[in-house]
Amino acid sequence: MNCSKLFFVALMSSLFLVSCSDDDAKNETPLGSFDNGVLILNQGNFAGGNSAISYLSDDFASFQNNIFSLVNPTLTLGDTGQDIGFYNELAFVVLNYSNKIEVVNRYTMASIATIDTELNNPRYIAFANGKGYVTNWGDGGSPSDDFVAVIDLSTYDVTSTIPVVEGPERILERNNKLYVAHAGGYGYGSTISVINASSNTVTATIPVGDVPNSLVFEDGSLYVICGGKPSYAPTETAGKLVKINVSNNTIASQIDFPAETHPSNLVIEDNAIYYTVDASIFKKTVNATTLPIEALFTTTAQGVYGVYSFAVNDNKIYVGDAVDYNSNGKVYVYSSLGVLEHDYTVGVIPAGFYFND
Amino acid sequence: MTLKKLGCIAVLFCCQFLLAQTDSTQFLKEVIVSDSQLQRFSNTQSVLRLADSVLQKNQASLTHLLNYNSVIYFKENGLGMVSSPSFRGTSAQQTAVIWNGININSQLNGQTDFNTIATKDFNAITVRAGGGSSLYGSSAIGGSIHLLNNLSFEKRFENTFQMAYGSFNTFGANYKMEIASKKISTQISLTRNSSDNDYKYLDTNKKNENGQFHNTSFNLILGYKINASNLLKIYNQVFDSERHFSGTLAAPSKSKYQDFNTRNLLEWVATQNAFTSKLKLAYLTEKYKYFENALTAIFSDASAKTLIAKYDFDYKINTNIILNSILEYNQTKGFGSNIGNNTRQIGAGSLLLKHQLSDTYLYEITVRKELTTTYKSPVLFSFGTAYSVNSFYKIKTNISRNFRIPTFNDLYWQGSGNTDLKPESAYQAEIGNEFKVKNTTFSATGYYMKIQDLLRWSPGNNGVWSPNNVAKVTTYGGEFLGNYKNNFGNHFFDFTTTYGYTFSRDEKNDKQLIYVPNHKFTAALAYSYEKITAHFQYLYNGEVFTSSDNFYSLDDYLVSNVGFGYDFGKKEALKLSVTVLNIFNEKYQSVATRPMPGRNYNMNLTFKF
Repeated sequence: MNCSKLFFVALMSSLFLVSCSDDDAKNETPLGSFDNGVLILNQGNFAGGNSAISYLSDDFASFQNNIFSLVNPTLTLGDTGQDIGFYNELAFVVLNYSNKIEVVNRYTMASIATIDTELNNPRYIAFANGKGYVTNWGDGGSPSDDFVAVIDLSTYDVTSTIPVVEGPERILERNNKLYVAHAGGYGYGSTISVINASSNTVTATIPVGDVPNSLVFEDGSLYVICGGKPSYAPTETAGKLVKINVSNNTIASQIDFPAETHPSNLVIEDNAIYYTVDASIFKKTVNATTLPIEALFTTTAQGVYGVYSFAVNDNKIYVGDAVDYNSNGKVYVYSSLGVLEHDYTVGVIPAGFYFND
Repeated sequence: MTLKKLGCIAVLFCCQFLLAQTDSTQFLKEVIVSDSQLQRFSNTQSVLRLADSVLQKNQASLTHLLNYNSVIYFKENGLGMVSSPSFRGTSAQQTAVIWNGININSQLNGQTDFNTIATKDFNAITVRAGGGSSLYGSSAIGGSIHLLNNLSFEKRFENTFQMAYGSFNTFGANYKMEIASKKISTQISLTRNSSDNDYKYLDTNKKNENGQFHNTSFNLILGYKINASNLLKIYNQVFDSERHFSGTLAAPSKSKYQDFNTRNLLEWVATQNAFTSKLKLAYLTEKYKYFENALTAIFSDASAKTLIAKYDFDYKINTNIILNSILEYNQTKGFGSNIGNNTRQIGAGSLLLKHQLSDTYLYEITVRKELTTTYKSPVLFSFGTAYSVNSFYKIKTNISRNFRIPTFNDLYWQGSGNTDLKPESAYQAEIGNEFKVKNTTFSATGYYMKIQDLLRWSPGNNGVWSPNNVAKVTTYGGEFLGNYKNNFGNHFFDFTTTYGYTFSRDEKNDKQLIYVPNHKFTAALAYSYEKITAHFQYLYNGEVFTSSDNFYSLDDYLVSNVGFGYDFGKKEALKLSVTVLNIFNEKYQSVATRPMPGRNYNMNLTFKF
């Protein structure tokens, strides 16, 4: 059984090596089987213990599901994969329901360490000042126990925690500062916390709009998409695209979305802002002061309810479809104009794309 | 409206009084059954009765009893945790649990958790396969499970005390007292079960953490014969439980869940000549509290209170024809952290006819219609025939329409509930063959069922999950029940076997429904010789799919239990028994990532005085 698996790994690796070595133009030696491609994190079913990682090479020549268990056949990745963060040659896989982080070599998937103490409902990870920073909701029902865990990257221990307001979600590092979006957890947040990575304290709070769900840095400014409060909230609010001046932590400009519109999945690539609303993908230039009325394209032809995960890389648009949230999900790759070019059956609930280049 | 209601009630009471006035000697049957429709209008379907002696041989939970003794498949979130049945390929919400004639499925989530029923509280448990909505209302689609407390007016005073102790610090105690005279009959039962439930996950270095549970239940049943034609009955049950929800192979857990349910039924039975009228008032409460972190005081909760008034009028036209009409009013108030505060009222009327055409042929027709403001309700019916071809072969046919009404969670869940839901509706046809030769009985039943407007929770394009009547399911299969009883001198043997073959297909993708095995097989052999008893149980569960694309699955498994007992008593019974569960140490999961225990032991002491 194990022998045959090893053989399979060897076979797969050699295939990758062959397929990569064909690509002489790049003249780059791959650092492992899973270099030069995208890692797709499949969340798995909540309490189902079936999180998995898929790999798709940049040239779409290689695709492989379950790469973590293929390389580490005796280990279980975990339950409800939420985020992957890269630090040097390491990948940190945050597993929300398992309350742990699996540390692996980002190019070979070889397991390195497991961080499974002092995390409580971990969500997203970023790195600053040689440390890892992980947002944690604490108990979902408690609005006052939320924190950012600080991880020592040599011992893989949580060395301290920074209390923050409810529902810390996405986290982003820039200039030794961490920007934490409070989407709100079980409630509805509306702020960004700024953490100084030298002192590990919250130094500023920026009010942005309801439910900030994605963050991107571009040309020295922080862009935030606020989804707004959903239809089932006591009062529904519309989304917002907010630009923040990080020198004084104030809003430089903002664009309101029409009523009952809840955008998410902000990406900025080649001077263009991308975001999604339900099953549609929108694109505007960074400087445009109005929102596009027409979608760039929609994914309804593929039967996608709503875009579950989204990325833009190298003129290709990646969409993750959770299908019925129980079966294997789908990943669709479109051209920059929205023409479907590739589709793949991945694991259960593809939740994020992490380009491993 | 109110006047009309008052009028109705007045009429009902008048009938009751008219009947009550006259004397009759109809009543002196020895055992008074609590669920008369089960006895009188279930002749054309497959009914499996599990008597007290079977209840005693099994572990305390309803899950264990039915898993090892019926075709019903169980999905159990680890031992003692939430347990959902699948009967004829349907879901837990399409299986009704009937307590002394009253449907007790949760108003909040539509199902009964089979680990919140302690079997020792009942005299008998009966499994009625197939449609029963025209008798029992919502959820009786795959079948119904009947929990029975039958009363006897034979003079006696009996006490039974049982204590059990086993692996994982599992403790059980049950005290039952029965006192009866010709006028009054009382049963009192008190049950306590608890377990650390920290079993090892086989072939790993992990164990079942945070799986401890305890529950306590109290039952009081009282029957009072006012006179020869009037009988008053009271049934009362309180069930209180706390379970920590165990972790999985991939995730730890720190949550706990508390249930508190009460069931109360007052019944006045009056008979006169060919007429029997029953006035029933039932009051059911259910309440749960869920603590995400058992160490904190933060929880979410919900509760429901249901009041049922039922008037059941039974007319025996002649020795061959029984006509039964039932009027019912049901009011449920539900409230909780996530469902707001809502009230639902349902009125229902049923007509039931049983006609014995000859010694060998009978048919039954039952029709029920419910009225409510919340949704539109279909006409429910059942038509069945039974024909005794000869002394050893009987053939039964039945067709029925059944339904499942939307639950309070489906309708009112904050932000997700959908108040435009229709009930799920199902047509079902079955043919049963029963053979009886000397000491052997055998039955083979084939069924076919179509379920429409099946409720599914799915995300809308705004990402908000909500239920809709979207799915259609076709289910068909066969059920086989066999029993052989014999004695060779003082050696008694009783062999029972069941086999279920089930296909349950989602019509959209033509895939098998998740957690419905194609095959389930059980066998049980009981042996006794003078004061010695022994039994062996065997369970085979086929592979189940765990994802709707049938990509992921759980392996099939075989679990066997064996038990021995010896009665040390002289005049009174004092019986000691030892059971080895999962004797072959099978490594298996009933639900993905939730291993079940390996070999474990249980000791039981029963004292009757």
